[in-house]
Amino acid sequence: MDRQAPGLDFAVIGHQDSWENIQSLINVMRTEALEALPVEKIKGIYSYIPPRAVFKMHVESPLGPSVNGVYIDSFIPPDHLDAAHLRSNIQKVREALGVAHRLGARMAILGGFTSILLEGNFEDFSSYGMVLTTGNTLTSSYVVKGIEKAARIHGTDLEASEVLIIGATGDIGSACARYLKGKVRKLLLCARNQKRLGMFAEKISTGGQEVRWSTNLDELTPDADLIISVASSSNIPVDRLKKSVVICDAGYPKNLEDRLDGDEAVHLFHGGMGHLTNGYVFDPDYTSDFYRYPFPHLGHGCIIEVILMALEGISHNYSFGKGNIRPESIDEMYALSLKHGIELAPFYNSEGIWPSTKKTHRYE
Amino acid sequence: MKTLKQPFDSIEVFNVVSDIYSQAITGELIGMSKFASLAETIDDPYEKMEAVEHADSERQHAEGFMAYAKKNNLNININLEGSYWKRVREQFLKYAGRKDFIACVIIQEVMLEAFAISMYTDAGNALGGPSKKLFLSIAEEEKEHMHHSVDLLQEEMNKDPEGFINKFEEIHFDCMTILSEFSATTDLKGHCGVCNGECMKSSLHHVGLNVDRLRGNAMALYARALDTIGIPGEKSIVWIARLPA
Repeated sequence: MDRQAPGLDFAVIGHQDSWENIQSLINVMRTEALEALPVEKIKGIYSYIPPRAVFKMHVESPLGPSVNGVYIDSFIPPDHLDAAHLRSNIQKVREALGVAHRLGARMAILGGFTSILLEGNFEDFSSYGMVLTTGNTLTSSYVVKGIEKAARIHGTDLEASEVLIIGATGDIGSACARYLKGKVRKLLLCARNQKRLGMFAEKISTGGQEVRWSTNLDELTPDADLIISVASSSNIPVDRLKKSVVICDAGYPKNLEDRLDGDEAVHLFHGGMGHLTNGYVFDPDYTSDFYRYPFPHLGHGCIIEVILMALEGISHNYSFGKGNIRPESIDEMYALSLKHGIELAPFYNSEGIWPSTKKTHRYE
Repeated sequence: MKTLKQPFDSIEVFNVVSDIYSQAITGELIGMSKFASLAETIDDPYEKMEAVEHADSERQHAEGFMAYAKKNNLNININLEGSYWKRVREQFLKYAGRKDFIACVIIQEVMLEAFAISMYTDAGNALGGPSKKLFLSIAEEEKEHMHHSVDLLQEEMNKDPEGFINKFEEIHFDCMTILSEFSATTDLKGHCGVCNGECMKSSLHHVGLNVDRLRGNAMALYARALDTIGIPGEKSIVWIARLPA
């Protein structure tokens, strides 16, 4: 495989999570001089496009060093993000890794759904000659640090709380459970696979941690003071939520938000996000029409993880496999984040930034 | 009216197969005549010989398709003045007139071959039988043309990356715009002038094809060719996004 001279510090391999995003991106690329394409026409071609670089990224640490990267889109359509398309998706992720390799990237993060390739340990990746990560450690850091901070803001005593984790047996969910073990009164664990969930709950309960588990959210939701969702939150029974519950949704919050319909008693924020206080530069910069966050320079924890790895010169795979994220790694990665001026993102949801956190961030 | 012959199960299948062969023959003859014209205009003896060789290769492909069509009594319509094919040829001749061999290679061996290889492969696999063998063998030969040309274009890219990318971009919009209009779900600039009767796109399902997949696979092969030549992805995605759909 031809490989360009090393010049890129990192590659971000990802996908778009909605046709709305894709439509915005394509039409921004088309410019206003051309007619905007409707989603239906874009759908006809999008999934056929082979993975490719879409824009370059430049990040400077306040400490001085800077790193250059590239965003490579896998062009996996958002409605193919399921087991039925596993084979074709894995092929696309492999192709995307090939693009990163050809571009000379020293390391790559497989973000979002593309992380399945690393979590599933489908193959030996040494032939790509790159350090790899799912970025799940820093995402987990932002989730747990976020829920701790949000609890403080709302006067919820974490140690006395029952914390529900939806998607508890996944890589991020299990990392959160291990981190919170011993820090909360009770862990409520929910996942789809009963056998796996039961085994995991047994492990977490060693050492005296009180744990209750179920595959049925209806059984756990009414007791939860704090909720971490790293899987689909669309089945949460919103009419059975506790008053003043705090929800960190690091999955796909839109579905739940639509159902909450602005319920002021529920404090929901989009989790797993960091704020790069020193900013970043994209080239080409599509963010003017494409950026959907209510605050500048936010980024997904997984992407920031590879940026930190590049800044720190970490030369080994970091988040790899499934269920391997230790609480110490969560603290280590969070410390690196703060060291390079990347903070926990302000709390926000579809209504905007939480009023209580506005004054603590300098862009307001 | 043609007599329906085996191996066609219905008149619909016969009509679609006739149109597929009409397009393939017309496309090959257009390719032949383009390289014949190029051989006339360019001065470099090696490029001249290569152009003649290309023209002859396309002629042989056209003959192969014509032989099958004749044997099976297909309803063939060859129309070198068909609107899309004519416009593609005009673009090619524009660059041939400038004695720009590289531009001609880009149009014929990257853009048109990407569509030919991909669509011949899809059509061959869908039609099966002797058609499969014919389409796939010609697709293999076209692949060789493409690989050879990609090597040449990589060298050009390495000599002057910025100048080459700018030139490629101009040719992309000159030529791929036409191919995109031609291969869109419905012909964006009217009837092609080659299909018998209505556009065959709405009848492709009779032989297990659909226009989205044909177009998508062709565009994917084109995109991969751009990658192999060395066009940066952040450029090629914008070029593709700006095509008519």
